[in-house]
Amino acid sequence: METASERSGGKPVKILVFACRWCGGIGAERAGWKRADLPASFRVIPVECAALVEPDAVFRALAAGIDGVAVLGCHVGGCRYDEANHAALKRMELLKVLLDTVGIGGERLCLAFGTAHEDHQFAAVMGDFHRLLQGMPPLAPWTGGGDEDSPRSVGT
Amino acid sequence: MTKTVVLLCNCFGEIGGVLPLEEIAGKLRESGDGLSVHVLPSLCMDQDAERMGTLLRDEGADSVVAGGCPSPARRETLRRALGNAGIDPARCAHVDLREGCAWIHRNDPAGAARKAADLLAMGLASLEERGASSDVWTEVRPECLVIGAGPAGLAAASALARRGVTTHLVERSAQAGGMMNLLSRVYPGNEDGKSRIAPGLRELEENPRIVFHPRSRVLSVKGFAGDFKVLVQTADGPLHLRTGAVVVATGAGVFLPAKMYRYGELKQVITLMELERQWIRGIGDRKRFVFIQCVGARCPERPYCSTICCPSSLKNAVRVMEEIPGGEATVLHRDIMTPGAVLERYYRKAMETGVRFVRFREDAPPEVTGSETVEGVRFRDAAGGKAWALPADAVVLATPLVPGMDNRSLKDLLGIELDGHGFFAETYPLHPLETRMDGIFIAGSARWPVSSEQAAAQGEGAAVKALGILGQGRVSALSLSRVPGRKLGHGRVEDGSCTGCGNCVAVCPFLACSLQDTGNGRLVSRVNKMRCKACGNCVSVCPNGTMQIPEHNYRMVGAMIRKAFSE
Amino acid sequence: MALSGEPLRPGDASPDVLVIGGGVAGILASLDLARAGRSVCLVERAPRPGGQVARLDKIYPTDHCAFCPLWTDVRECLDHPLVTVMTGARLAAFRREGERWLAEILRTPPFIDEGLCIFCGRCVPVCGEEALSPLLDQAYPPIYRIDAGRCTECGACVSACPTGAIDFSRKDAAHRISAGEVLWATGFREGDLRPLPEYGYGTHPDIMTSLEFEEWTAESGPNGGKLLRKSDGGTPSRIAFIQCAGARDLRMFPYCSAVCCMHALKQAQWLKRRNGDLECTVYYTDLRAVGRDYYRYSKREPSGEAVRLIRGRPGLVFPLPGGGIAVKYEDTFRGDVRIERFDLVVLNGNLRPSLSPDREGDAPAVDREGFLDPAAGFGCGFAVEPGDIMDSAVQAAAAAMRILGRDKG
Repeated sequence: METASERSGGKPVKILVFACRWCGGIGAERAGWKRADLPASFRVIPVECAALVEPDAVFRALAAGIDGVAVLGCHVGGCRYDEANHAALKRMELLKVLLDTVGIGGERLCLAFGTAHEDHQFAAVMGDFHRLLQGMPPLAPWTGGGDEDSPRSVGT
Repeated sequence: MTKTVVLLCNCFGEIGGVLPLEEIAGKLRESGDGLSVHVLPSLCMDQDAERMGTLLRDEGADSVVAGGCPSPARRETLRRALGNAGIDPARCAHVDLREGCAWIHRNDPAGAARKAADLLAMGLASLEERGASSDVWTEVRPECLVIGAGPAGLAAASALARRGVTTHLVERSAQAGGMMNLLSRVYPGNEDGKSRIAPGLRELEENPRIVFHPRSRVLSVKGFAGDFKVLVQTADGPLHLRTGAVVVATGAGVFLPAKMYRYGELKQVITLMELERQWIRGIGDRKRFVFIQCVGARCPERPYCSTICCPSSLKNAVRVMEEIPGGEATVLHRDIMTPGAVLERYYRKAMETGVRFVRFREDAPPEVTGSETVEGVRFRDAAGGKAWALPADAVVLATPLVPGMDNRSLKDLLGIELDGHGFFAETYPLHPLETRMDGIFIAGSARWPVSSEQAAAQGEGAAVKALGILGQGRVSALSLSRVPGRKLGHGRVEDGSCTGCGNCVAVCPFLACSLQDTGNGRLVSRVNKMRCKACGNCVSVCPNGTMQIPEHNYRMVGAMIRKAFSE
Repeated sequence: MALSGEPLRPGDASPDVLVIGGGVAGILASLDLARAGRSVCLVERAPRPGGQVARLDKIYPTDHCAFCPLWTDVRECLDHPLVTVMTGARLAAFRREGERWLAEILRTPPFIDEGLCIFCGRCVPVCGEEALSPLLDQAYPPIYRIDAGRCTECGACVSACPTGAIDFSRKDAAHRISAGEVLWATGFREGDLRPLPEYGYGTHPDIMTSLEFEEWTAESGPNGGKLLRKSDGGTPSRIAFIQCAGARDLRMFPYCSAVCCMHALKQAQWLKRRNGDLECTVYYTDLRAVGRDYYRYSKREPSGEAVRLIRGRPGLVFPLPGGGIAVKYEDTFRGDVRIERFDLVVLNGNLRPSLSPDREGDAPAVDREGFLDPAAGFGCGFAVEPGDIMDSAVQAAAAAMRILGRDKG
């Protein structure tokens, strides 16, 4: 039987998803309840709030050879932490622009704030992102050295 | 030396039917040194608690990775097992192998297996690098501060005082009662303003637990839920207080319709508040009253409905019909706002007493005619468009409540927010009396225009919220959580690397970060754990990674990223 | 504490407060009481708490998904050591006994044990009656439940279930509750609009009440948020919302339900947001957008076009032979009577307090309109006075405070 990945072209894709534990994660759970058929190309890291996703984490993921990063948060006005996600959304959108500017491509950062909390929405977001990334060339992982886990050193 | 045990749930075949759990377990045992992995038929059935507890105890485990379904409500049994084995629940990482893996990749078992292995590796990595925030405790000050002694403030203070809480009631003016002192009658009954708040005034008079500070203002509020440090400027000098909670009940102001409908120009064009005063002093020989609604409300400058103007006009119109022989009352309106059962009944009563209602369109407001004093009102009936000229002895303008003058400075003092109109805002629709600052509550028209009855209800509501804090002997920072269970943790500043840029101070929605002088000319950030909610904004804006939340730190994220895709 | 000298049976309880109704008002009041140190028994008729709000798609004015603000409070209630939540529970008997209130609660345990159901769904395909449906919300683990009305108790599901969660032999259990105080938070239910034949309810599948329409168009509903006609599955292009259908009507509900205007505006705006070409018309009597930001909300124009507002209460709604539904109304601003054709008609205004005068049993005294008589005890939410989520939350907190105020010391 064709897998969802195979149906969309076959090339393996790697997606890292940061999902907030509220609206962000709910769509994923519901997709499971509905037994949605999704490509096994994404891994989810649950976070307390989308605000906790450092821009740096997005860069490190891309540098590690991950094709794309998705950040799922609550809709603007719906954050449990008093609109902490407003700042997060602004930050992420600026990051998209930055990724474009440096030639990586802003499309590699997928943002869904309040638009992936239903099963079919989550499935659509992940499916579309998967297909988009399949059509893009791979990023070579960083080989420039440096202490991978020190945020204050160059590299990583 | 940590001993981690991995528990893989077969989930009665729901997970094991898609993922090759024994194979995955085998690979995990090979990869980690001394890693113990068990495949169990289930993790959530009653009988599993003892089995898992024994297993974990026998293996001397201090950390657990549990791969199963993601529902926190299904973890009761595992929690019990952890308890039996003496393992801190924070040392258990939950990995979703069902909704997030087996159930959505049934058509790609190889891909699902790889993903499951990766997710478990990420879970293990997260446990290795996960830190723990330290907690702080604070003794809860048993007293409460209520700002404003109108109907909301009086209700709050009375409720608290009757429960034995010493309450400092700070009031700007010389007497309690707020706007109620100006009302000759309150709807829907027939009592006057003072009578409506009589119980509160009596409590104020008789209950020694209410400490009344008239002619006083709050100058500063620092601290956090459980221990607010307050400075009040009283008539007798400055007063320092420490209270466990704060209730903001400062009321609202009334809009003066300068130049609208020839107010200020013609005699007998008055506001509703002025009419209240005139009932007390003497209504004179006026008989024909025309009320105009939405004066300065529901317009571009003030795009809101002030809730109480329609009921207030109805109250006065009914009074005209009932108390003035030959009285005539006409209400010109855009909609009559009497939602609910009580107010709708009141509206019907007004109709029955002979009050006339005519709707005008927003784009065709009435015109007041007269040369020195009011002669009449010209208007166009929205129903059909017919033009009318109605003679009037007085034109009463229903104007909205507006945010209190002190709202801006108070909000800065307290660290709470105003809404788009300038009233104090709640943090979440289901918690209408709570602000973004724990321990600070809002009630009455300071929050949004309401009737005195509603204001009193809100005051009582704020009191019960305050009691939720005041009733505890001490609170810990990690327990001050708006979400079930504890907070994730707190922001923590690594010593030595903070550059004092202040990004975190600017971005924190809860004002939990502040810059402190280290003494040698450097400023570094400090996190107030009681206020911090671990949303993570500070971490994301820190330019050099100094600010971290130990439970979700930089190293942990890096380790998870590296393990995310194993091939 | 023994009741009338009888020993306490397992399952009996003597909380400080018995809260009847597990909707927004009941849940929030329970939490306020528990945080102030009172023990609470919360009794809810449905299988899950949440009440009417949990069934909504979105809530105004923040456009949150309805379940979201609610589930944290439900979860807190469930986890709080001083709160006992009884779902699937009905009040069978109720009386005053000395200083306390005595209630007999009948719990109908669901055929599927919540503690044992792992949501695998193996029971669903073997059921010949389609009696199984999922019970989903974020506060609880997802489980299946059996519609007793359709179930023939054939037992096919019992053998299919891997955990033995299904048991048809579970009997109703009676619990005696002796409470210091009682709080009525029974909310509202829908009234039947058929006695008002001019609204045409029941004559066409596309004439629905607002709550039916909410469920029909919900993102998590049967159509995944897609807007379809119930009659033929086609896409509607014109929808009419009729306000005060049943409400502010001396023949049925004389009061104003307080929530319908905003509810219709919210639905209309969400529909327009998801379907740009859709035309929504709201027939209103008074556009009661009174709370914080409600007026601004009413003026919003999703998809660049305002919701069409017509002042007038339609006098006749009837299905057209060629398809569609006709609405005959007077446009009071223009002063003329018109008939327009719509694909869908939504009737707003059939909300009534659950404690209505015509209910049997030991229900407390209510006034003519069905609202709780203050002399009958403490109440909050729609049971006492129509209001929305925020009103109910305030009333719940105030009621909790008044109950606390009843204690000596």
